[in-house]
Amino acid sequence: MKQSDSNGETESATPRPIKEGKIERREVLQGLSSLPTLGLFGYSLCRQAAYEDAQDRQRQPTSEPTARRPAIQVALLGAGAQGEVLLNSMLRIPGLYVRAVCDIWTEYNLKRTVNTLKKYKIEANGYEDYREMLEREKDLEAVVVATPDFWHARHTIDCLRAGKHVYCEKEMSNSLEDAGQMVLAARETGRLLQIGHQRRSHPRYQHCYRKLLREANLLGRIVTAYGQWNRSVKPDQGWPKRYAIPEERLKQYGYPSMAHFRNWRWYKGMGGGPIVDLGSHQIDIFNWFLGSPPDYVTASGGTDYYDPKTHEWYDTVMAIYEYSTPAGKARAYYQTQTTNGSQGYFETFMGDQGTLVLSESEAAYSGAIYREVSAPAWDEWVRRGYITGPKVQTVRQDSQIPLDVRESVSPDEHRIPVHLTVPYHQSHLENFFQSIRGEARLNCPAETGYETAVTVLKVNEAVEAHRRLSFRPGDFRVPS
Amino acid sequence: MKSETVLFSPIQKMALALLRITIGWHFLYEGVVKIRKPGWSAAGFLLQARGPAADIYHWMAENPDFLNVINEWNKWGLTLIGLGLMVGCLTRLTGSAGIILLMLYYLCNPPFVGYFYSLPAEGSYLIVNKNLVEATALLVVVVTRAGRFFGLDLILSGRSRRSDSNKQQAIAAVGE
Ligand SMILES: NC(=O)c1ccc[n+]([C@@H]2O[C@H](COP(=O)([O-])OP(=O)(O)OC[C@H]3O[C@@H](n4cnc5c(N)ncnc54)[C@H](O)[C@@H]3O)[C@@H](O)[C@H]2O)c1
Repeated sequence: MKQSDSNGETESATPRPIKEGKIERREVLQGLSSLPTLGLFGYSLCRQAAYEDAQDRQRQPTSEPTARRPAIQVALLGAGAQGEVLLNSMLRIPGLYVRAVCDIWTEYNLKRTVNTLKKYKIEANGYEDYREMLEREKDLEAVVVATPDFWHARHTIDCLRAGKHVYCEKEMSNSLEDAGQMVLAARETGRLLQIGHQRRSHPRYQHCYRKLLREANLLGRIVTAYGQWNRSVKPDQGWPKRYAIPEERLKQYGYPSMAHFRNWRWYKGMGGGPIVDLGSHQIDIFNWFLGSPPDYVTASGGTDYYDPKTHEWYDTVMAIYEYSTPAGKARAYYQTQTTNGSQGYFETFMGDQGTLVLSESEAAYSGAIYREVSAPAWDEWVRRGYITGPKVQTVRQDSQIPLDVRESVSPDEHRIPVHLTVPYHQSHLENFFQSIRGEARLNCPAETGYETAVTVLKVNEAVEAHRRLSFRPGDFRVPS
Repeated sequence: MKSETVLFSPIQKMALALLRITIGWHFLYEGVVKIRKPGWSAAGFLLQARGPAADIYHWMAENPDFLNVINEWNKWGLTLIGLGLMVGCLTRLTGSAGIILLMLYYLCNPPFVGYFYSLPAEGSYLIVNKNLVEATALLVVVVTRAGRFFGLDLILSGRSRRSDSNKQQAIAAVGE
């Protein structure tokens, strides 16, 4: 397009004569003319930020409820991956004040967490040594423990003895003896000890247990259960080299090297491998839904894929439990493998009248129940809103194959209309803090956590023993 | 200079300035959102990389030192590029940096023939997606030097033109 330029700012074929040392006023004005868009941006951003802040305040209304009752002063002990997840949930729970954070990785995890809290205008004190924290922070009422499994017992017991209520991550401990000591410490001190099997507070699991199994008995007589957690290959956890912990401090806290410190899950004496890490959540549900701990366990497992030097615990485990439930015998199969994530994690319970499939996740297996054709109709439960109406089955129009009379008709699928609307761990933490205020009872007290630890840790023994191991009824209880 | 000979009508200049400002706005907001969100990280995005360069992206995500750098560069890069484009300051520099960023995003999840993504996209793409369109639009901003239209570059280029001509005069004087 050829167009002669009437205003002087644009370049034209013949450059304008330039006035020495003077920028033209029109040039300056035009050059500055897009600055007001910044103002518009700033204004829009402030409006947007105000809305977001309002939503945040809804999530953590610190002022209003605390006016009625004093905030619970809480500390986080262990600010790693899970510590961060728990902290994010705690920030959404009204009536809490995170007073202190303790972590031995002072140059990285501790720093990051204290800084994150600052962004929420929370001034938390950071500590390397939990004993110093307990000594100095007199007003602490509760401690949330998310350190590696082999530290749980010492941390929990010392906190209980210092008069704090404790939320301790699963697995309660990697040693049963230590787990037993934790139960005793809770009993002696009269403080609350909640173990982090968060499905116990998940509204869908509670709905299934209370309404579908106990009240409506939709599954009838449960004979088998199945659970799995399949996880893709994961590289070892690395660390930023310049933030490596000095060797001396590592040794002091029981870690031979940074690699052990980061990948403690895989080492004997520190963690328990995937069966403990992943399996314990779901085996806990077997015990809960079947109404009793098992009589026997058989298991097979090994480090089949990873290097056994760095992965002392089994990367693949398959276990079979035998139960004597109040309703009769039942068997439960559990598998965890860490080389393929297909079909993820879920649990299935199969009775003579129906099948329940559920998981913690909202993405996959978020809850379905299937009615056996011979079972009584479920319309009543649909009307009450316990389950949705059956999914309409569509027959493929292009199918040329006539239906075979021998085939059993596939059961109706109903969905479970209960969903988790908060982060995974929030409900369980809420249950803990409500219990401290006397407004609820713990959903996973020390005794329950212990029962699960006994059930789960036995699998690793059974793998080694290559035979069926039995539990004695006394195994699941800690004598006073 | 060659581009000096190009003529734009006022309406064309306005359109180019508008293009520059809207792209700048988008960059700026993407940057500000990430800065405001505590603990934001590019790790998730990098880990789901597909295509010919996927290995490089995965390596970035799994290398904590590098990831930190990437996160900071990304946050502040987006913000500064956004600011620069909006006010039309050093547009050729900020615009080119913007194109590089966009191409890095594009190559992370390229909608090439034969790659199938599980995440739902908000449109349908074959090779060309919105990242590529935005990068191309930025290219237009860069090559037309759209910072001179209603932007600070007008003042800056005015300065340099003058100092250029001063220099030429000086050279001419020396030659005499
Ligand atoms: N409930 C769940 O779904 C769930 C999920 C993940 C992890 N967990 C549990 O949470 C715990 C932590 O796991 P993670 O994945 O966060 O591990 P991690 O290695 O990421 O974090 C552990 C943190 O504890 C710190 N630490 C180690 N020893 C310490 C000590 N003696 N004193 C103070 N701090 C110490 C480390 O510096 C690190 O920051 C484990 O018990 C794990 O089983 C539970």
